[in-house]
Amino acid sequence: MSGGAQYVVAAYAVIWFLVLAYVVVLGARTARVGRQVEAITRMLDRREGREGDDAAGGAD
Amino acid sequence: MPGERAALIWGVVATILVVISTIGVFLVAPEDADQGVIQRIFYFHVAIAIASLVAFAVACVAGILYLRTRNARWDDVGEASIRIGLLFSVLVVITGSIWAKASWGTWWVWTDPRLVTYLIVVLIYAAYFVLRSSAEDDRRMRYSAIYAIAGFASVPLSFYSVRVAESFVHPVVFTGSGANMPGSMLIWFVVSQAAMIALFIALLEVDLVGRRSERALRRLALRLENA
Amino acid sequence: MSRRRQLAALVRKDLRLELRTRETIVAMVLFAIVMMAILQFGFGTRDDDLTRFVGGLMWVTLAFTAVLGVGRSYVAEREQRVLDGLLVSPVPRVVMLGAKAIAIFLYMTAVEVIVIPLVGVFFVQGPYWDAIGWIAIAALLANACIALSGTLFSGLALFTRARDLILPVLFLPALVPVVIAAAGATHAVAGGPHDMSEWRGYCLFLLAYAILFSLVSVATYDAVFDD
Repeated sequence: MSGGAQYVVAAYAVIWFLVLAYVVVLGARTARVGRQVEAITRMLDRREGREGDDAAGGAD
Repeated sequence: MPGERAALIWGVVATILVVISTIGVFLVAPEDADQGVIQRIFYFHVAIAIASLVAFAVACVAGILYLRTRNARWDDVGEASIRIGLLFSVLVVITGSIWAKASWGTWWVWTDPRLVTYLIVVLIYAAYFVLRSSAEDDRRMRYSAIYAIAGFASVPLSFYSVRVAESFVHPVVFTGSGANMPGSMLIWFVVSQAAMIALFIALLEVDLVGRRSERALRRLALRLENA
Repeated sequence: MSRRRQLAALVRKDLRLELRTRETIVAMVLFAIVMMAILQFGFGTRDDDLTRFVGGLMWVTLAFTAVLGVGRSYVAEREQRVLDGLLVSPVPRVVMLGAKAIAIFLYMTAVEVIVIPLVGVFFVQGPYWDAIGWIAIAALLANACIALSGTLFSGLALFTRARDLILPVLFLPALVPVVIAAAGATHAVAGGPHDMSEWRGYCLFLLAYAILFSLVSVATYDAVFDD
């Protein structure tokens, strides 16, 4: 690599890293929404008095 | 759902463009005669800078639309845009600083208008989130919209003020990339630019889909509590 | 009442309050002097000649003083519930904005009438009153900028939590261009031979800033007090 190549690599690494980190943050939020949906579903299952495998397994 | 499809399409487009432009920048574009390899930082650096300005412009328009319609959707668009714009501006400052180190041997030069301007832009839009966190609901959306508009007015002022000062202190203003670059370089600037704009739109769409599901979830939880 | 009389009445109210208590302007002047002294002590511990920087330090000080004064500008309205009365009265929001901006403008001018000639002794070279006159014109323009953006941002900060902290965070980044231009104009005429084209450039910039922010303020001020 010619002179200064490490700086170019560093610059692009920073870009990739931060953009990826941002996507991970977005993904984490989606995961949280998913978990809450699950929790609500379980709650509904319990409320309706259904003792399905799903609800029993999740509500321990 | 149209939002999801848009997010998917833009995500694919952005990925393809980013991959193409990365390959082009590193393997195809010719070496700059003056600066050598470190000029390659500019392809993404400049593209991200312009994309961040696009993001702030979108937030400004979303702010105007929010004040007109009072539709919370525009608040979502505004906040998501500014968040991405802030991410991009931080990237501009970091990559600019790396370039300064490679080119001038120092991480930060207070007389370089580009670096200093972007630092101010980062400060302006970081304050947006401080403002958001200290107000609630309707007021938060209104204040955010107003600040997004006022902030976008400050951006050209910061650009210009730093350059006015610069033109008096140093007659030669460093220009980012010069208009007279060869076409073989220009094409990769254009592709990088398209990639970064697509990346912005993709991140925005994904963010908006997430926000919408979050809001739907909150409504659902509220209804269950009341039931 | 015509708009002009409403405006005059509101400005008179602010000034009369200030003349009775004299708490804001006296505190602002004292703050500016203490701050200048602190800056001098902070920088002057080495034997360097600070004369070149004093004009810039003065504008840094005035920017912080402006934050202080702008932060006080709505205190009476908030604490004595004047604002509630004003908001239900048939006074247009634009008139409220204008009155507040005029009050801040007058406060800043009052502070500068004392601070600039005083500090000018330390950095003006060449004919003293001549330089002070040119600086005063730039200062009046800078005051207009401070008053307009300050009114907008203090209105935004007014009902937020941690109000006293929010205002500087919002206001100072927007003040950066004003400080750059005002300090630049000051330096252009303070160092002996005047550089009038430089001075004019900075003053035009301040004018552009004031016009842009007055447009933004007029366009968004209705939404600031919307509840």
